Amino acid sequence: MTAALSKNSASIAVQLSGVGKHYGDLEAVAPLSLDIEPGETVAFLGPSGSGKTTLLLLTSGQLQPTAGRIHLNGLDLADLRPGPQLARLVGMIHQQFDLVPHLSALHNVLAGRLGQWGFSKALLSLMWPQDRDAGMGALARVGLQDRAHLRASHLSGGEQQRVAIARLLVQNPAVILADEPVASLDPARAGETLRLLIDIARESKKTLVASMHSVELARLHFVRLIGVRNGVVQFDLPSAQVTEEMLNDLYRLEGLREGEAVGGASAPDGNSAGRLPLESVPYRMEQRPLP
Amino acid sequence: MSLFRIEWSSGLFHSGGFRAIGEFAVAVFRPNLSTDVLDAALRASWTTVAYAFTGLSAALAIGFPLGVLGSGVLTRSPGLRRASIAGTRFSLASLRSIHELVWAWLFVVAFGLSPIAAVLALGIPYGGILGRIFSELLQDVPEAPLRALRAAGASEWRVFWHGRLPMALPDMLSYTFYRLECGVRSATIMSFVGLGGLGLQIQLALDDLAYERVWTSLFFLIGLVVVVDLWSTMVRRRLTT
Repeated sequence: MTAALSKNSASIAVQLSGVGKHYGDLEAVAPLSLDIEPGETVAFLGPSGSGKTTLLLLTSGQLQPTAGRIHLNGLDLADLRPGPQLARLVGMIHQQFDLVPHLSALHNVLAGRLGQWGFSKALLSLMWPQDRDAGMGALARVGLQDRAHLRASHLSGGEQQRVAIARLLVQNPAVILADEPVASLDPARAGETLRLLIDIARESKKTLVASMHSVELARLHFVRLIGVRNGVVQFDLPSAQVTEEMLNDLYRLEGLREGEAVGGASAPDGNSAGRLPLESVPYRMEQRPLP
Repeated sequence: MSLFRIEWSSGLFHSGGFRAIGEFAVAVFRPNLSTDVLDAALRASWTTVAYAFTGLSAALAIGFPLGVLGSGVLTRSPGLRRASIAGTRFSLASLRSIHELVWAWLFVVAFGLSPIAAVLALGIPYGGILGRIFSELLQDVPEAPLRALRAAGASEWRVFWHGRLPMALPDMLSYTFYRLECGVRSATIMSFVGLGGLGLQIQLALDDLAYERVWTSLFFLIGLVVVVDLWSTMVRRRLTT
């Protein structure tokens, strides 16, 4: 990958050192260390509740770890308060887009600049959008310049997520975190939107770390996959080296406990207890060979 | 239970009451539509509307800033937030615990029969009510979009203007319109303490036992409330679609 880079911490985009998080007795993330190089595209995989989202929230500074340190571009997150400086380092998009539904697409995009604007500029912008060119440019990049003045609530799900991506472009952080960015979109829209996100990250040389619901999309679009299960890293490999075996292990059910029974009723050939063939999990369907 | 607390039997009872009610009810079919009565009702409606609007403007001027403070959303420090909420909620409660009629009476004593008395009498308790509702609406806004703004580096002030307020605004507006409607009714009552308007016309007509004229004024009052209602529906539709 990026073997030429020296390993001092300033040249590492995201560095987790012994980072763990527990809520009381419940361990959400077991202490783990990993480095992510600038420009890498990394996806966390794992069943619901495995700790993917927690890892992203920790990396974004929205959650504080109970152990370990997180460095972004060599800066210790613990030293940074939420605010403009942190916003230049890291930005995040979510499954639910999180736009302000009553404001126009353009206003929502320009919200990415809020941290950099003075107070009067921020107020003025409600009436006359400031830094309009930057906002329109970002909207054009995601193909929505003709939607700029529509209310966010009038846009489709896919369009809303593209507005959220444009907002991130205007915010312009070094590291982009994406929490299941396309999980609530239909399959066609999901692939297209993810492609756009990856392309944007590549062309602006940003580091992209995502948690992914769809194994297929993750394998297709990301360079490196990290499997997380019960807060423990199971594998951390280039996408090409991740095998079916590993994925089976990652998603296997533990005695079909409640809440984990994804497609559990359809284990057709009575496989060994607690082991579910991936083919019976719905999101794998698209990968089956056509008859 | 509370019904038993009222002593129904005692007190003065007006023996001709039922007949009066009958006459009043019949008069609904023949309101006095002579030009001078209509003219007086129109002028009085105008006064009442003017009181309602200026009173509500005063209420907004009081209620909006207090509502923002009372929601405690401008600070991230839990201590400051609690202090802001508790302090403001207390002052809001004291503003609205006194009825507008009592305020009106007080201000008439203080300023005489001047429009200022009516505006303040309406503005103060309504400000207390608006402030209370605004603070709750501002608190109840979905958190996720606000988190996204904070993640973009926005301070709570900016989060307020670019997230919280736009999201709460339709509900705040529709509640304000509802209050405007109440304001029209309150302004009518207000004139019973001598401040003019539709209420004065109703009172004069009642004193003359001229129920036909009472109904003329009441129809104007109903008309005003309906107009405010239609207007609020229009504004709200424009704001939410």
